[in-house]
Amino acid sequence: MFEVRFHGRGGQGAVMAAQTLAEAAVIEGYHAHAFPFFGAERRGAPVMAFARIDDKKISIKSQVYEPDLLIVLDESLLDIEPVARGMKKDGKAVINTRKLPMELDLGIEVDCATVNATSIALEFLKAPIVNTAILGAVAKATGIVSMDSMNKAIRNRFGEKFGEAAANANIGAAAAAYEQTVIGRCKGKRPLKAKREWLPDWDQLPMGTALSEGSIDAVMVGPGGARQNLTGTWRVQTPRYDKEKCVRCLRCWFSCPEGCIKRDEDDHVHWDLNYCKGCGICAQVCPVKAIDMIKGGQK
Amino acid sequence: MKVKVISADHAVAYGAKLARTEVVPAFPITPQTLIVEQLAEFINDGEMDADFITAESEHSAMSIGIGASAGGVRVFTATSSQGLALMHEMIYAVPQNRLPIVMVNVNRSLGAGAGIWVEYNDSMAERDSGWLQMYVEDNQEALDAILMAFRLAEDRRVMLPVMVCLDGFILSHTVEKVEIMEQEEVDRFLPKYEPLHKLDPAEPMLINPIVPPEYAMEMRYQLDRAVDHSRDVIKEVDAEFAKAFGRSYGGLIDTYQMEDAEFAMLTLGTATGLARGIVDELRKDGKKAGLIKLRFMRPFPFKELCQATKGLKALGVFDRSASFNGGGPVHTEVAAALCNVPVMVTGHIAGIGGRDVTPDHMRQMYDVVERASKGEKVRQVTWHGLRGKME
Repeated sequence: MFEVRFHGRGGQGAVMAAQTLAEAAVIEGYHAHAFPFFGAERRGAPVMAFARIDDKKISIKSQVYEPDLLIVLDESLLDIEPVARGMKKDGKAVINTRKLPMELDLGIEVDCATVNATSIALEFLKAPIVNTAILGAVAKATGIVSMDSMNKAIRNRFGEKFGEAAANANIGAAAAAYEQTVIGRCKGKRPLKAKREWLPDWDQLPMGTALSEGSIDAVMVGPGGARQNLTGTWRVQTPRYDKEKCVRCLRCWFSCPEGCIKRDEDDHVHWDLNYCKGCGICAQVCPVKAIDMIKGGQK
Repeated sequence: MKVKVISADHAVAYGAKLARTEVVPAFPITPQTLIVEQLAEFINDGEMDADFITAESEHSAMSIGIGASAGGVRVFTATSSQGLALMHEMIYAVPQNRLPIVMVNVNRSLGAGAGIWVEYNDSMAERDSGWLQMYVEDNQEALDAILMAFRLAEDRRVMLPVMVCLDGFILSHTVEKVEIMEQEEVDRFLPKYEPLHKLDPAEPMLINPIVPPEYAMEMRYQLDRAVDHSRDVIKEVDAEFAKAFGRSYGGLIDTYQMEDAEFAMLTLGTATGLARGIVDELRKDGKKAGLIKLRFMRPFPFKELCQATKGLKALGVFDRSASFNGGGPVHTEVAAALCNVPVMVTGHIAGIGGRDVTPDHMRQMYDVVERASKGEKVRQVTWHGLRGKME
């Protein structure tokens, strides 16, 4: 059995990539399945998806803990998630990055393929949805499915959902990635740090469902938990504020779903970029276009 | 026949379409939503001739279903968790009115301690309602179950609603290979629904009247007998299905490597696939491990379990929900069924609130049962994957 784990950010198409890989494998006559890590998916948040391929019926439905193939759709995850955790020593990695395999450190030294899927996606799809480009790299790096089957799977899934033109653009992205993929070996020096999680024993859990602030040493749980969970790291676009144009109507301040727009004494505003997810609602509601969104998650 | 790589939710929608469902009353709830979205699309695209009725709540969705079914048409709906709980009052009205509605419950934990992930505490709470209740293991079985469920529900010896339960997310959102049969084949297996009664203004009739003590007891006994009669029909329908489509799932239970087994697990839902793999592992090591798959929680397979456990020394029972009385609901019923059989029965609770049930958890379950089979004293009930020491 061949087990695959995808790491990406919400909106990059990791789930669709896993499903398309499974469909390509079925087209080749294998058994396959694919599923997302089941959580509250949000644009920009780290997400996972899984796939399995085998020549007989796959009965296991557990998550993938020891992948043969690791696929990373967003290089920035290498610094915030232990993506290579549990990876097999003879496994392979496919990473979306501008770097060469030898310039990357995954924390485990394995066969590694790199491709600049973001620039390919921007060229073919006009959006940083890198899933089909990465699939081209997967076909090249692993040979687990042929490009022919991959194209058919892309046509089935994307054509059905988004139409013929979208299918062709995605097939184009996969083909370009197949050509541009560089195969080598990555470094394995980076320590894979454990995720900071609050996992008390059953008899240490507070009674009921009420969590007091003092009792929490958590990332995601309880009041105050957000102080450690800097959701601003998910941001792929950042608001730019033109104070001169601002008419101090405070619509942005009122509309921000994260409450990260702060009101100054004179009713100008500023952003707490530790928590701004880059949704762009502030730019949308501004009546005088004093806010626009610029690419990238920079501060 | 077409082969598609789809989720169990979509497979279920194909099943309801192939069954020529005529009315779909529904209210969306995660992780059931993909089912009703797909059905709405089929109807909108003209691929399915049915009325999709959006209700303002699940209570209303089932009420609409009752009205439509009493009007003589084939009704399908789907829900999950809190939605099923909100339906509770109407759930009880369906079996006693002998309306053959088929509903999918995509299992999801019932709050508080609310989550969107799989747990069986939603459907287990409805097991005494008079609905037949089945659990499926994979996406193909999910589709096939819809067709078998209608055939079973509408059989004149049964005339009862069927609830098809499937694991939230683990099945509902996982894509895998599913064979979609041709309409003509399905039409032969599942002919047009012929209602027993039909609400018709031209022939006035009263349904669901208040029932005084003079009649209630006989009505309940009739219902009890109908559920009992469904046992034979379930086996017949499976045989007919195998004849038509070449796939057989067994009757109330299915067994794997039970012929010479000394210890075994009984599982339901997706844990069955996982257990099958662990049985293969144990068999390679020369251990006589077996597996019983529980397909139907209602009717409960009392006789079948007594037969299947002949010669078995220990049986572990997997539960994906707790009764808060020391064990899980499936364990309690299995223990009752086997009280006159010399087999040690233990309970194994895992996967609560959607926690991943891993191969290691299943190995631990088999380990406990194997030790019990050798006469070792083991825990009556074990929670696998629990943090902290059990009391």
